[in-house]
Amino acid sequence: MSADPQANRLLKGAAFAVLAFLVLPSLIVVPISFGDTHEMVFPPPSLSLDLYRQYFGDPQWLAATWLSVRVAIWTTLISLLLGIPAAYGLVRGRFPGKRLVAMFLLSPIMVPSVVIALGLYIYFVRIGLSHGELRLVLGLTVVTMPFVIVTATAGLQNVDPNLEKAATVMGAGPFTVLFRVTLPLLKPAIVGGSLFAFLMSFDEVVIAWFITRAGYETLPIKMFSSIQWEISPVLAAVSSLLMLFSVVVCVLVVVTRRNEPQQ
Amino acid sequence: MTQRRFKTAYFVIPAVVFMIAVYALPLAGVALQSVTDADGGSWSLAGYRDIFSSTLFYKVAWSTFTISLLSTTVSLSLAFPLAYFLSKQRPKVRAVLMIFVLVPFWTSVLVKAFAFTILLGQSGIINDALAFFGLGPLPLLFNKAGVIVGMSHFLIPFMVFPILTSLMAQPPELRRAASIMGAGRLRIFFRITLPLCLPGIMTGTLLVLILSLGFFVVPALLGGRQDMMLSNLVDFYTRETLNWQAASTLAVILFSFAMIVAYTLARVPGGSSLLGGQDR
Amino acid sequence: MVKVQLNDVEKRYGPTVALAPTNLSVTEGEFLTLLGPSGSGKTTLLNIVSGMTEPTGGEVWIDGVDVTNVPSAKRGLGMVFQSYALMPHMTIFQNIAFPLQIRGLPREEIRRKVEDVLELVQLPHVAGRKPKELSGGQQQRIALARCIVYDPSIILMDEPLGALDKKLREQMQLEIKRLQVQLGITMLYVTHDQEEAMTMSDRIILMNNGSAEQIGTPNELYFQPNSSFVADFIGQSNLLDATVAGEDRVRLVNGEIITVRHDAPLSHGQSVKVLLRPEVLHLREIDAGGNRLDATIRGSVISGSTVKHFLELDGGTSVLVEELSNGTNAAPAPGDRVTISWSVGQARVLPA
Repeated sequence: MSADPQANRLLKGAAFAVLAFLVLPSLIVVPISFGDTHEMVFPPPSLSLDLYRQYFGDPQWLAATWLSVRVAIWTTLISLLLGIPAAYGLVRGRFPGKRLVAMFLLSPIMVPSVVIALGLYIYFVRIGLSHGELRLVLGLTVVTMPFVIVTATAGLQNVDPNLEKAATVMGAGPFTVLFRVTLPLLKPAIVGGSLFAFLMSFDEVVIAWFITRAGYETLPIKMFSSIQWEISPVLAAVSSLLMLFSVVVCVLVVVTRRNEPQQ
Repeated sequence: MTQRRFKTAYFVIPAVVFMIAVYALPLAGVALQSVTDADGGSWSLAGYRDIFSSTLFYKVAWSTFTISLLSTTVSLSLAFPLAYFLSKQRPKVRAVLMIFVLVPFWTSVLVKAFAFTILLGQSGIINDALAFFGLGPLPLLFNKAGVIVGMSHFLIPFMVFPILTSLMAQPPELRRAASIMGAGRLRIFFRITLPLCLPGIMTGTLLVLILSLGFFVVPALLGGRQDMMLSNLVDFYTRETLNWQAASTLAVILFSFAMIVAYTLARVPGGSSLLGGQDR
Repeated sequence: MVKVQLNDVEKRYGPTVALAPTNLSVTEGEFLTLLGPSGSGKTTLLNIVSGMTEPTGGEVWIDGVDVTNVPSAKRGLGMVFQSYALMPHMTIFQNIAFPLQIRGLPREEIRRKVEDVLELVQLPHVAGRKPKELSGGQQQRIALARCIVYDPSIILMDEPLGALDKKLREQMQLEIKRLQVQLGITMLYVTHDQEEAMTMSDRIILMNNGSAEQIGTPNELYFQPNSSFVADFIGQSNLLDATVAGEDRVRLVNGEIITVRHDAPLSHGQSVKVLLRPEVLHLREIDAGGNRLDATIRGSVISGSTVKHFLELDGGTSVLVEELSNGTNAAPAPGDRVTISWSVGQARVLPA
């Protein structure tokens, strides 16, 4: 292809402008998080850790954080426990209505969150489920499980079914096949899927906003109401920590993908 | 094998049971609620009558569509050059640049919304900078502009992934062959590259459109009162007026819109296998 | 002793017949090959033996036991896959030890057996490596070693050499054959490559459209095919349309009458095919008792040890003649008139 340096420069400029638009706005919170506790100024006139101290010293912020962590752990565990077998059934099984079942299990990805949220809100009232944390765990699992199924399905499609057949012909029972062959090969997909499920659950706003009960404020809900009503500078510290967390998760996923066995 | 294959199918049962109990039944409940009289238990289409005769509904539906279409257009026009540029890089460079797409993708929408309130506000960073040059202040926050900026920022990665995938799937020999036959780069782009990645563009556009229709956080935090979208109106009816029937009716309408787009998406080749999204 | 016995096994998917009722027995130490084009039912048959496909009718017996309803894991079989199916997350040692661990052998015995079998396949130094660090041929040997190590009553191989290049494939054919003979392994082998089947097998089952077309030694299939499909699939062949014109005589479409050999009685006027292998034909006239035809050269190519001549009989039928190349005789030019001839009895009559 004949190179046209000018067009190439233009494309490169446009691409980097878009990348800058993607990355820079969120990064703005990092310098602010090292600034003053009363006023948000950019650039901050002096640097301090006051906002982080404020966050770690505030029982409400900490309670919200711990609630989100607990809910995310439970959500991830249930999603894995139900989602991985489901992915296995969908990839390896052959049964009538398989496409329909797959569409049903993955459909929460396409349904607007607010519809699911309203449904759960009315449903929990109707069936009298009042346990605040259980409500959150059940509700958020609806959106994280499809994601685990997608990841595990992709992982399973990369596992040669002949490996399972080979183990079976050699005399391995179904549990030996599962624990010695299938699950070890699926490990990268499971690790990646659970990290993302955790992050999704941890960040979810809409469903939590609808179904939570008084006294069960997750971190995103607290942030949401805080941005809506007061815009406290401590948000900058919370946001920076959340971003750091996302970066760590992404790096972990990249690292586990790299160790994936080639097939 | 048929028998044993069939047993493998049993593995889906726990997930299906869970999703029926915690997802299908609640959705069915919403549908039922939308046709149930507010006080009694009798069947009634009053909810739909009320909604379709309410000016608020038309206003919100209109702004939902305009904001969604505008955000989708903005996302496509920003995502395509990025995807095209990424597709032309060496794998290592691309892997590094992809981090700058992936990290925003996995950053909480609240962090982004918060960042934009700092950037776009009346005394925000952009307006401060403009004031330094004796310009402004521009109204960037609590209006449509703010919502569209915030939504596009959220949506661009969802647009980049499918377009990049379909660009990468094109055998480079095609472009080389066209070049050897004497085609110039513009002709190659418009006759080969672009037509071959149309399914990717369609997939990205429809996916982003579905996501935009359901946006909640961004219009609530970056928009003004008049930029309410359907999701926010559902919230309004649920919390402020405690009118479950109106909220459910709206939810059914929103669900139908999303499903129409999703159905179209399923017709696009390769469109049915998609990444999951975050909440919005 | 019979190791595997199939009685009327069949497999249908609704109205589609993947395998018509088939009978088969594999005796101890025998190398039996299922040969056929794709979709001919050979893999279905193999999977029925392995227990991965349930037959819709008939019985499978292994070592004198009816295993029709016994799951794969309990049939005591070994199997080598085209993709080798070596566990990518295990080392070579762990891969070979895996079936022994399933059988609960003591650790020390496992180590000894794995080392012995690695010695046997001439790869004693790779125990600590991962499968992807080995070449295709080495992975193939490890896959075989993983079967040999637990001494299954029969080893099934499904197109095991399909992923290798030609030279390596030929080398592995001899290697597998050597191990099979040396260890007295009973082998059921699937391939679509007729040369591979001829090289390795004691007996071949040629499958076509879900049923066994012919069962026999490589020699029988080549020299005594019982149908034009067999003749066409095994080796190269000229199949000429003809009608029976008397005892031992048939009339070709161009009117020429030739003498043929046949097993089944022929009735006058019956349509038949005449099989002439390219290598039994000669371009010069030999003392053949009148079996000769006039033809025109259309082209010749040399493929190393042999020369192929493409001819057209008077009347338009194409015929291939293959002769050893000796480098001295001048090749005939296209358009040259020649006479082809063959020894009496080299032409076989097959049902049309």
